[in-house]
Amino acid sequence: MPSSVKAESKKVTPLSAKTPSPRKLKFQADLAPSEDSMVRVLKAELQMTSNTDFLSDALALLRWAVSERKRGHHIVSESSTGVRKILLFPRLERVAPEVTLPHVDIQWTDKELESLAELASGQPAAPTNALIRAMRQ
Amino acid sequence: MAVTIRRLEESDEVEDFDCGDEPLNNYLKRHAWTNQQKVSIGVTYVAADESAPHGVLGYFTLATSSAPRDRFPQKYVRGLPPYDLPLILLARLAVDKRFYGKGLGHALISEALKITVRVADEVGCRCIITDAYPDKAGWYARYGFLPLEGTTTIGPIRMFLDVRTIRRAMSQESSPAERE
Repeated sequence: MPSSVKAESKKVTPLSAKTPSPRKLKFQADLAPSEDSMVRVLKAELQMTSNTDFLSDALALLRWAVSERKRGHHIVSESSTGVRKILLFPRLERVAPEVTLPHVDIQWTDKELESLAELASGQPAAPTNALIRAMRQ
Repeated sequence: MAVTIRRLEESDEVEDFDCGDEPLNNYLKRHAWTNQQKVSIGVTYVAADESAPHGVLGYFTLATSSAPRDRFPQKYVRGLPPYDLPLILLARLAVDKRFYGKGLGHALISEALKITVRVADEVGCRCIITDAYPDKAGWYARYGFLPLEGTTTIGPIRMFLDVRTIRRAMSQESSPAERE
């Protein structure tokens, strides 16, 4: 039988009819015994007593990981000797941008920037046939 | 020969690469991997034959950059958003001499432009810029790259291709004369 972890919401007494408290969500998950054990060990290591705090911290960590990966950043651990490991987590890779390129600075002359601004602010040129072929390849 | 284009890997055999231009050879052999993996200032894509997947037939390097909007003349800024202009830099593109005339340059620039469109879709960019050797400027012009005014009279020519032009190309047929 799977164990179960409940993140209980506290009972809230409304202060007044005009200021209703936001409804708190109850979250219940069925965990395999090994996962239940993992939760207990982690809670002990982190000195947590409530499942709500555990879930809240896990959510904050996942939210940060998702936001970093969405920006194309890698999540890396580095040991004291400089050995680096990159986290590869399939679900996180779903939110990562397909292509990420590094940023470099280009030295521009004023005339180049004027020419660039003129081209970029105007109507785009019609594609050449070589370009059309390249994009259809 | 079945060619694939993919990101440079550490195990790729780059020492035999020879495009006839020492700075381009040297970049691939000495700097491309470091720049990609360690200092993150350029991503290199290589063309490889599926039968010898670690031999490099050609390569190109891309990075993102931007042009400072506050240095644009006022008469041109009205049509532009109030930020620096994001762009892709096609930093290098080269084909090994042994594979000249086999359409590898076309395949490489095709992939570079497709990546440009994907980057534009995902994080935004307005154009692709390259610094072309003067004797190669005509080749880039065939793909619609336009020379920027103000580049030096000697040395590379800075060239521009609008992402909107590339997008338009994706939805158009080539003319009958070109198809032949």
